[in-house]
Amino acid sequence: MGNFFSSMFDRLWGVNREMRILILGLDGAGKTTILYRLQIGEVVTTKPTIGFNVETLVYKNLKLNVWDLGGQTSIRPYWRCYYSNTAAVIFVVDSTDRDRMPTAAHELHLMLREDELQDAALLVFANKQDQPAALSASEVSRELNLVELKDRSWSIVASSATNGDGISEGLDWLIDVVREEQM
Amino acid sequence: MEKMLKKFIQNATRVAPKISKKGELFELRNGLVSQYPQTRKDAIKKTIQQMTLGKDVSSLFPDILKNIATSDVEQKKLVYLYVMNYAETHPELCILAVNTFVSDAQDTNPLIRCMAIRTMSMIRVDKILEYVEIPLRKTLQDDNPYVRKTAVICVAKLFALNKELCQELGVLEDLISALEDSNPMVVANAIAALSDIYEADESVVPLPKLIQSHVSQFLLALNECTEWARIIILGALAEYTAKDSLEAQEIIDRVTPHLQHVNAAVVLASIKVVIKNLPQVQANTESPIFSKLSSALVSLMSTPPEMQYVALRNIRIVLEKYPHILSRELRIFYVKFNDPLYVKLEKIDTLVRLVDPSNLKQCTLLLAELKEYAMEFEPEFVSRAILALSQLGVKYSEPKFITKVLEIIIELCNTRDSFQDDCLVAMCNLLRHAGPDQEGMVTQVCSLAEAWSSVENLLQTDYAKCNYIWLLGQFPQKFNNVERKLQASIDSFTQEESLTQMSLLISVVKLHSILPGSMLQNLLELATTSTDEVDVRDMAIMYWRCLSVESSHDGLINELCNSSLPEIATTLDTFSPELLETLLRELSLLSSVYFKPVSTMTKPKSSSGNHLKGKQLDELQFMAQDEILKNMNEDNLLDFDNDWPAASNSNYKSEAQGSTVDYLNDIFGLSSPAPPVENSMADLSLNKKDEKQKSSNTQDLLDLF
Repeated sequence: MGNFFSSMFDRLWGVNREMRILILGLDGAGKTTILYRLQIGEVVTTKPTIGFNVETLVYKNLKLNVWDLGGQTSIRPYWRCYYSNTAAVIFVVDSTDRDRMPTAAHELHLMLREDELQDAALLVFANKQDQPAALSASEVSRELNLVELKDRSWSIVASSATNGDGISEGLDWLIDVVREEQM
Repeated sequence: MEKMLKKFIQNATRVAPKISKKGELFELRNGLVSQYPQTRKDAIKKTIQQMTLGKDVSSLFPDILKNIATSDVEQKKLVYLYVMNYAETHPELCILAVNTFVSDAQDTNPLIRCMAIRTMSMIRVDKILEYVEIPLRKTLQDDNPYVRKTAVICVAKLFALNKELCQELGVLEDLISALEDSNPMVVANAIAALSDIYEADESVVPLPKLIQSHVSQFLLALNECTEWARIIILGALAEYTAKDSLEAQEIIDRVTPHLQHVNAAVVLASIKVVIKNLPQVQANTESPIFSKLSSALVSLMSTPPEMQYVALRNIRIVLEKYPHILSRELRIFYVKFNDPLYVKLEKIDTLVRLVDPSNLKQCTLLLAELKEYAMEFEPEFVSRAILALSQLGVKYSEPKFITKVLEIIIELCNTRDSFQDDCLVAMCNLLRHAGPDQEGMVTQVCSLAEAWSSVENLLQTDYAKCNYIWLLGQFPQKFNNVERKLQASIDSFTQEESLTQMSLLISVVKLHSILPGSMLQNLLELATTSTDEVDVRDMAIMYWRCLSVESSHDGLINELCNSSLPEIATTLDTFSPELLETLLRELSLLSSVYFKPVSTMTKPKSSSGNHLKGKQLDELQFMAQDEILKNMNEDNLLDFDNDWPAASNSNYKSEAQGSTVDYLNDIFGLSSPAPPVENSMADLSLNKKDEKQKSSNTQDLLDLF
């Protein structure tokens, strides 16, 4: 009974409500590193994610339920299981990996075509900017063909998960958009 | 009135149960992906509830799986439960849980580490197994014994799922080193896992050697672990053969305290270990260990009936090895009025077995007790009691006592209606034991049988009819009109079963000099032409042959008719020595209840399936050839002219047949039957052989069948 009332109150005031955010991208793009950079503010050593990681974090008074899904070819088909009720998608791209840019673009557009994601905001991290051969944000944007996106609030931010550059800027933008849309 | 009307209307109109428009699953799914943690947890609980009710909620798998990564132990446990149950319905999605499994296996909470590795090895999905290595290794070396003991079992599970992978990872070595663990639970689980693996594939782990080298660890762990672990360790100890009598004595000393354990399985396992080591310490019957064993066995009789039954079956095995062990405890095994039938039957069996045949007082007590049983109502119980009476008489084996038993049985036969079958069999057993010179008994029995008006309706079982006809053949002078009685049986010859048919053959041949010749002729014709029983037909052919050469071999037919039967020494069935040893080793296992060694109960392993299949074809061909050969041989049998080739042929064939039978057993996974043959019956048929088999080549021929 207590649970019942507490969940009633939660609903009434919107407390405890969690925003669901997905972090997607090809394998080795740095999704898990970004997740834990957001969660504990540190760089953790990661292994390829088989499955998913999920962390709950509070950012600017908003409870975020951040899902980091594995990027292996074998796991990508199961991304769709996680699309429902998603407020925003963070797509992480390895800026140094020029060869697989088309693959990334293909996966991105495939994903955005899903019905369940029509209202989701999109934030692209052009990651690994600390590396010398990294493409700039605008170059990545062109590679991914982001300009084609209509009816969607999207943004691209150059970032580096290892030294933290650009991460909070990107998230700030995302939160503003989400808050506007959801509230 | 109004109430009734309402009720009537309610019953008359069916109301469909209310279901929301989109259905329950839809609502559960919505709950599972809710934005509120509490709602998600409630939905998980509801889903598990549906699952335990038996509803198929497997379609929620992906949504449940999303909730697996949580810090809430309760929720995690529920999700794990669900995953265990439904993983096989969504093998491809299980991979999504791998990351959580791996990170949970490194959780700070040992319960979660344990849960993760347990679930992971439980899911029968190949893809998951690829990732099991790191967590399994970590948990095998865990600081917490609870986690280690779980991980040890997981190795066995992994082995069952994927043998090659298990060997490749080298976790078997870790498993072996777990035998030296400081925690007794880990040791017990390690030995359990190793025995499972050894059972599946003997080449992978040197289990006997490991048991040899770790006996001291086992003995140390024995006192400190739970009862179930104790059973496992005791099972391992039973596999161990002590080096000398000192060590055997030590093992017995260490195990003896567990004979008083409250768990019956522990007691039985301890008994097994003690019995295994007893021969080496050469204890005499007076030694205290026997009284301890005896009190342990007695303690098993104060358990619920199902366990009593198991205990009784085990006691039966122990009694065969050590018949005197329980002879002072007769009273414990008396049947109680509220015992279930299966326990009652076993108890009667045990009573007759454990009674000391040199103790008149005890035998008389038991006789009175069995007499009481024979006055009961349950038919099976009474039949068993009557049989037990004859068994007791034969066991005590003193004419006066037998007469007493016989009187009781005759009285029973007269006072009770439907037990003539059993009574007759029991009386014949007694006569067979006492020998034909006990004139008084013979007269008593025969006059009883003589008084029966319509034997055909009175006696139902094959065995009883067989005995009745034996009686006619053995003591014809005690009956009026034997001819008419035998003729009645011959008339119904084709409806009888093989035992009666054979008995009839023997009796008629025996009495052929006082019976009309047409009767014999008629019977022999019937037996050779209108029966499917090979034994009966063969016997008739044999007799016919002997009788037709009568003129030249007068002695043969005389010997045939006048040979006396050997006395039967006991009517209690016994195991063969090898079977007994095997069963003693397998005490407290299922095999001790069925009296069949484990090796005959398990199916041929799947790995050898192909091998066997390949053989099967050859075997079938061989059998076909054999069949043809047999048919040819039978033709040969009918004319005795060239009996030498026939004899040699049959020799070869009986060998070949033996192997065929073995193979058939292998192929069909049948247990090689080791039925406790009724001794008297075995004697009867042996006798028949003796009577008719006088020349060596006919013996060979008989072997065929």
